[in-house]
Amino acid sequence: MIDVIVIGAGPAGLAGAITCASSGLKVMVIDEFIKPGGRLIGQLHQELSGEWWNGIKESERLHQEALKQSVDIRSGVSVYNLEKDDDLWNVHTSIGTLTAPFVLAATGAAEYPIPLPGWTLPGVMSIGAAQVMTNVHRVQVGKKGIIIGANILAFAILNELQLAGIHVNRIVLPEKSPLSGKAGEPEEVMKSLLNAAHLAPSPLLRMGSRFMKNDWFRKTGMRFFPKSGVKVNGTPLLLRKAALEVIGTEQVEGVRVADTDANGNIIPGTETVYEADFVCIAGGLYPLAELAAVSGCPFQYIPELGGHVPHHSETMETPLEGLFVAGNITGIESGKIAMAQGTIAGYSIAKHAGKGGTAIVEQLNQSVKNVHLLRKQAAIQFYPDIESGRRKMYDLWEQLYANPARLHTEEKLG
Amino acid sequence: MNSNEAIVVCRCEEVTYGQLRTTAEEYQCTARELKLRTRAGMGFCGGRTCRIPLDRIIIDVLSNVSRSDIPLKYQPPVRPVSFGTVGEKND
Ligand SMILES: Cc1cc2nc3c(=O)[nH]c(=O)nc-3n(C[C@H](O)[C@H](O)[C@H](O)COP(=O)(O)OP(=O)(O)OC[C@H]3O[C@@H](n4cnc5c(N)ncnc54)[C@H](O)[C@@H]3O)c2cc1C
Repeated sequence: MIDVIVIGAGPAGLAGAITCASSGLKVMVIDEFIKPGGRLIGQLHQELSGEWWNGIKESERLHQEALKQSVDIRSGVSVYNLEKDDDLWNVHTSIGTLTAPFVLAATGAAEYPIPLPGWTLPGVMSIGAAQVMTNVHRVQVGKKGIIIGANILAFAILNELQLAGIHVNRIVLPEKSPLSGKAGEPEEVMKSLLNAAHLAPSPLLRMGSRFMKNDWFRKTGMRFFPKSGVKVNGTPLLLRKAALEVIGTEQVEGVRVADTDANGNIIPGTETVYEADFVCIAGGLYPLAELAAVSGCPFQYIPELGGHVPHHSETMETPLEGLFVAGNITGIESGKIAMAQGTIAGYSIAKHAGKGGTAIVEQLNQSVKNVHLLRKQAAIQFYPDIESGRRKMYDLWEQLYANPARLHTEEKLG
Repeated sequence: MNSNEAIVVCRCEEVTYGQLRTTAEEYQCTARELKLRTRAGMGFCGGRTCRIPLDRIIIDVLSNVSRSDIPLKYQPPVRPVSFGTVGEKND
């Protein structure tokens, strides 16, 4: 008999599993990747303190800790459906159907694709694929690359590619269209970069931010944005160039670009071709919540969290009895925060399962506070208005699901 | 803008941006109907890449889509599986 099935062995899932198991529950973790760690195993960046965040080390630590707590981890197993039968959840996987009273869905995030002409050529990949090939599989993705799309994820991975000795020549924007959305509007991009300007991956933008905090400065900033770009870690960031097409016959040979005005409209007659042997498309991240969706959990669109998220409380419960969520499925944030959310979910499940005695309420309380603290200190933040997005979700939860019992716990959490 | 018509949005079923837009505009339809009419999202991968662009096309063409719902509903299986695997329970 399994008490808890955790879907996803990323930081959120592993931390949740460890917390559940240490409270005396029997836990199984399922992940479709060949080894545990989730997106952690691709991560490498420097914190504001100067310390390095080494995702491989972190994931090994979590893995060892989970094994010590007798968590059963199954790698290389996909979950394709999730539904409830009376009191038990049925988790349908590629090795058969497993059942348990509690499920923690910690399936992480996926990348927004930005289709453009030529994106099916070999050598075009998402920025996340470049990260996995470089840091996980240790495969050189190419010699000379171009990144299409300017966001925090792109900068973080640019840095990782450079550390691996891979040359990225330029960062340009996608062409403005319904498919690229805000990612193709220079002013919007500038705004989101400036909001994140205090964060680690963009030392240059950090300098500029003081001068560019209001709209007028932003507009003139865009109008006078140097054609040759500004350098991010030595790579020119060209906010006034749009990628029209990836060109090549058998594989990527380059990107056709054009100048744009401050609003992202193409200026005719300005086309040039930048040579490249690989292209990364960086569309940003959204919560991967497909299993919560098939389970029947209601959703809310909260752009500040990255897209559609399953309804959930601050203690990570969903409106469906026994179903909990943690990590990027609840909104896009860094690995550290995902891990801390996993701990909340773990305590929350233990509490529902009647484990942990009287201490559990205080532990749950502390774990919620810890997430607030980590969020304030975060060195990397993908969505600048994350705090208000979180608030929106918890307010909605209060409105829709709060009952006397829940209000009671909320008060204590204060 | 014209070369954009030829962008392959759904790679599995090779459905282009032009086809999707024309269909969405002509039928003013839901994301599900757009999928059924063009087969976009119905290939091997189950729409794991093109679902987002499909949603964006629908939101761009129809002004009244409710944003709290996921435009293109998720349906099991969310991963490609063999008939044998799915049938396991009925043995
Ligand atoms: C491409 C990419 C790059 C990122 N880079 C950074 C970075 O540099 N720095 C940073 O701080 N954050 C980064 N992030 C954000 C990252 O999501 C968080 O840091 C953190 O890893 C989230 O943890 P998680 O546990 O929620 O999800 P994840 O770490 O993503 O783990 C989720 C796990 O669930 C598994 N899974 C999903 N669906 C299924 C299924 N149906 N069946 C079985 N298993 C399933 C996946 O295989 C995965 O291992 C990145 C995210 C992505 C997608």
